[in-house]
Amino acid sequence: MNLKEVLETISGQKLTLTEGLNNDVYLSLNIIDLQKAIGIFDENSFELISLFCVEDFAEKGFTLFYAFEIPGFEQILILQSTLSGNQAVSIAKTYPSACWYEREITDGFGIEFQGAFDTRRLFLHETFPSGFHPLLKSFKNGKIETAATSDQKEYYFRQVEGEGVYQIPVGPVHAGIIEPGHFRFSVIGETIFNLEVRLFYKHRGLEKLAEGIKPQACVRIAETISGDETVANAVGYCNAVEKICSLELPKRAVQLRTILLELERIYSHLGDLAGMCVDVAYPVGASPFFILREEIFRQNDAMTGSRFMKGIVAVGGLTKDVPEGALKNLSNYLLSFSSRLNDAKGIDSTYFSVVDRFETTGKVRAEILEPLHITGPVARASGKMCDTRITHPYGLYPELKLKCRTHANGDVLARFNLKAKEVKDSVQIIQRLLNEVVSGDISVPCQIKDGYALSLVEAPRGQNVHWVQIKDSLIYRYKVRTASFCNWQAMEHAVLGNIVPDFPLINKSMNLSYAGTDM
Amino acid sequence: MAKAISNVFKKPTTDQFQFSDAEFEAIGVQIKEKADKIFGKSLAIRELDAGSDNSTEIELNNLSTPYYDVERFGISFVASPRHADVLIVTGAITRNMEIAAKKTYEAMPAPKFVVAVGDEACGCGILNDSYAVLGGADKIFHVDLKILGNPPSPREILKGIRALMYTIEKQSIR
Repeated sequence: MNLKEVLETISGQKLTLTEGLNNDVYLSLNIIDLQKAIGIFDENSFELISLFCVEDFAEKGFTLFYAFEIPGFEQILILQSTLSGNQAVSIAKTYPSACWYEREITDGFGIEFQGAFDTRRLFLHETFPSGFHPLLKSFKNGKIETAATSDQKEYYFRQVEGEGVYQIPVGPVHAGIIEPGHFRFSVIGETIFNLEVRLFYKHRGLEKLAEGIKPQACVRIAETISGDETVANAVGYCNAVEKICSLELPKRAVQLRTILLELERIYSHLGDLAGMCVDVAYPVGASPFFILREEIFRQNDAMTGSRFMKGIVAVGGLTKDVPEGALKNLSNYLLSFSSRLNDAKGIDSTYFSVVDRFETTGKVRAEILEPLHITGPVARASGKMCDTRITHPYGLYPELKLKCRTHANGDVLARFNLKAKEVKDSVQIIQRLLNEVVSGDISVPCQIKDGYALSLVEAPRGQNVHWVQIKDSLIYRYKVRTASFCNWQAMEHAVLGNIVPDFPLINKSMNLSYAGTDM
Repeated sequence: MAKAISNVFKKPTTDQFQFSDAEFEAIGVQIKEKADKIFGKSLAIRELDAGSDNSTEIELNNLSTPYYDVERFGISFVASPRHADVLIVTGAITRNMEIAAKKTYEAMPAPKFVVAVGDEACGCGILNDSYAVLGGADKIFHVDLKILGNPPSPREILKGIRALMYTIEKQSIR
């Protein structure tokens, strides 16, 4: 059965689907049918992967887009519903992951969700005045006047009361060289009873900044979403634009992009492996990972002129070619990499006081994976078969036929072992590609067309969703949902019953990007 | 259990890390000479992320990893602003971080110095027109030194810190 037949069977009626440009399928519904559809989707375990709003999409007013991943299908189904005013109905009771999206839309557009159980602001903190909604087209981006005193009430945190319960407020400025965010622990003795995370301190207004600029220039904004996901987000964004403009990339560009994507995964995972050792006070174990990571940074620099591979990906291919010599060096360098990685990992996984801290710590239970759409290594380490490179392959991945690695336990140790294996897999992918790299052009000239498309990409942290709309050859709307946006919500569950000193370790094992969430 | 016992008889897991980067070494030694005089043998730096894209944090963290290991030059990244001589600011100052950023600075004992690291913190990034940011670090702080880059490499950051030492030295002579 194809997607249309499946949908018609489960809904019991004829449907009109609109094919998108990049395996995205759109279905337009009114509000009442939408509620029905949401119920049916939930029963059939469709997963909500994003929810966003566009103003004046096809007709005047706000259009909400609900993107769903359907088991067994490469296509992404997007329900589309145009509101008559600024009132919508919350689906957060059916899909808990919708809670943050709805709060985000309320902040951005001033849309109110009936029946929402959490109506606090999300990315607009107290410094922003009431009635300010930056993503409205009527708001022209620029500095806003704010009153000396805020008209906002203090942000309300869940209160846990009882004998011996106390709160620990942490952040936004933390003790190390880390990004800012606030954690409110409710603790009994040393055990965490409740955690509430408040983020968006780093909200930089990237989605608004993208609006009205040239699609080629927007790559820089995609790169700055999260510095250590530079390539993933640049490629995710470019894939969408390239589909809209129906560009066919030269083979060499696709191959090189894939090498860069996997290099990014390697250095990101190495950083996590090292970080986990640091957080159990075992620098001896962390050092070999740090050494390997630094060497990868230097390879990146030699290949692209940037340690974070910034400025190399462009709409239509790459901005410049990677020198043959650098590719050869990389190939030689990787020869001894896996055995050095094994040595590095051996130091930790045989050291019992490390294993003792890792094991059973920060368990992400399988039942929260689907409702919160937990993604990437965090989900895979809890046994979920999910890897965008396999389920929704893009670029060169359809040819590579990767296997999805999972681990059953869902604790810090599972994430540690899984990431080490994924590093080795990425090394193999790169070695294979280095043998196959063809010579030739690295980009095609691009003629910008109007349209919209969805693009998924597997960043080191998991699935990132990019949705781009181009109007009059300029970006009209650019919506990004990073893996961290979803995975942060797993944190509040994973820490329960753990002791406070294990929190940094759990945090590091999940490797969440604040910048990527706050946007 | 067998693994645990075998650890006892295994050869030591640490080995000598061969490091040779004369230029980097020289910068570090110069900083150490100056910092010994100016700050009484140790330079304490507090990092403040006011809205960066996290790559600058990674490079600052790298300064403490084996290839660089700047602690041997008397430079330490400290946990509290109350211990710090220098505040390193990364990223454009977001509105949501404004109060926390100011409080961090206020908590530092005088004399104190501010270094902006990365293009956004220096006010020459791509975010300046956004409603959500105030601009570079100099919008709310007196900035003593700017280290440009997207992000600057560990070596460039260390060179910046050396430049700061010279600046402070000149000031104190005057």
